[in-house]
Amino acid sequence: MNTRHDELETKIGKLLASYLESSNHPELERHGEINGATNLVSDFTLDSFQVMEFMMELEESFDIMIDMNSLSNTHTVADLARFVQQELAGPAE
Amino acid sequence: MALLDKFETAAAIRDQLQLGGHDPTQVMMEQIISPTEGIVEGRHTILAGTNNYLGLTFDPACIEAGRQAIETQGTGTTGSRMANGSFAQHAALERELADFFDVDYGMVFSTGYGANLGILTALLKPGDAVLLDADAHASLYDGCQMSGADIFRFRHNDVDALGKRLQRLGERAGDCLIVTEGLYSVMGDCAPLQEIVALKKEFGALLLVDEAHSLGVYGDQGRGVAEAQGVLHEVDFFVGTFSKSLGAMGGFCASRHRQLELVRYVSRPFIFTASSSPSIIASTREALRQIRTRPELRETLWRNARRLYAGFKSEGFEVGPEISPVVAVRLGAKEVALPFWNRLLEKGIYTNLMVPPASPDQHSYIRCSVSAAHSEQQVEAIIEAFSSLRELL
Repeated sequence: MNTRHDELETKIGKLLASYLESSNHPELERHGEINGATNLVSDFTLDSFQVMEFMMELEESFDIMIDMNSLSNTHTVADLARFVQQELAGPAE
Repeated sequence: MALLDKFETAAAIRDQLQLGGHDPTQVMMEQIISPTEGIVEGRHTILAGTNNYLGLTFDPACIEAGRQAIETQGTGTTGSRMANGSFAQHAALERELADFFDVDYGMVFSTGYGANLGILTALLKPGDAVLLDADAHASLYDGCQMSGADIFRFRHNDVDALGKRLQRLGERAGDCLIVTEGLYSVMGDCAPLQEIVALKKEFGALLLVDEAHSLGVYGDQGRGVAEAQGVLHEVDFFVGTFSKSLGAMGGFCASRHRQLELVRYVSRPFIFTASSSPSIIASTREALRQIRTRPELRETLWRNARRLYAGFKSEGFEVGPEISPVVAVRLGAKEVALPFWNRLLEKGIYTNLMVPPASPDQHSYIRCSVSAAHSEQQVEAIIEAFSSLRELL
């Protein structure tokens, strides 16, 4: 796990906490528990609409575009950090 | 057993929906009396949630056209057009739809859902990019996903967000498809098509507009939001349905691009679906003729829409952002909306309940669709019923 990945995990965790707050999510008080292993759906019961909303938050924050189809194997904050890291690095040559 | 275990989730959703007494997804219309009245649980009920915008389902000329088609062409086509051949009427309706949108090509599908699946899976392939409004209908999402293209959503009606994504696409922007609706069916708000067209032209993209809820409703000639906003000739593909203003069932695409004719050869949802029955095509043709020749239907529809919107507002309800034949009332939590919807039904008002995640945000809504066939008394009765339930809020 490199520093860049850890930084991204932390930033995504903060964005998730902020999203829970802005959407007045019932599990808001558990935001302190967010870490790399946090699963958006099973830990924080985000529904499909909320997951897509949160993806748009990530797009804005990191100035990237997220293809809806590319997220099928992305479940946790760590998965998202890996995904964002790849997107920021640009397409593989 | 594991294969069937997944239905436990559906069972839990159903049980929750039934908490208020009636399941909003399973309302039984025991009898249909008119475009705006039915019998539900033995009760006379005003239909305020059936998208019957022009009230043409009981129009005598449409009924007669359907009846004659059954007598002369039979009850069905018994298969797809590729396998069984086309009836002359299918082709006639396609020409009429193309003429209606002032383009050269038209194509008819058996459902609106099938039209979106059929067109999007033909237009897009893996590696292509599609920019999709986040509040787009499920059929547009499904069509994009089935195509295998890269799907990038932009915030609902947010032109800046769309522009940013086009920018980020770089060279791919000139070869991508933008997908929006004309009138959005939950909140009753329209796409800013003028601005979207400006972006499409700037980047060289193509634009598909779903006018399912706006056909017959917007524009001087009822051609939809693109006509109303003066950009009819800038849209690349129009899609829509026969199941709303046209009072039947089916879907279509109309386009100025000659490649639409080739979609017939590559669109699996088109190739492998039985074609519409003669009565459906005949009543749709008559309804389309009425949209073109009876502007008074739209005038009545809009008068009713303005009254319902103003009535809800004056009673203190939070309604959608603009006046339209779709009037959504925001009720907040599901726990409030569900009993509210149930009491409305018990008072003889049928509406649509929208709860998360099916609603466009975290709130629940009760959605009404207005019809030209609603009488002034019926519109007042709907407002009165809502008002009488204010104590539930």
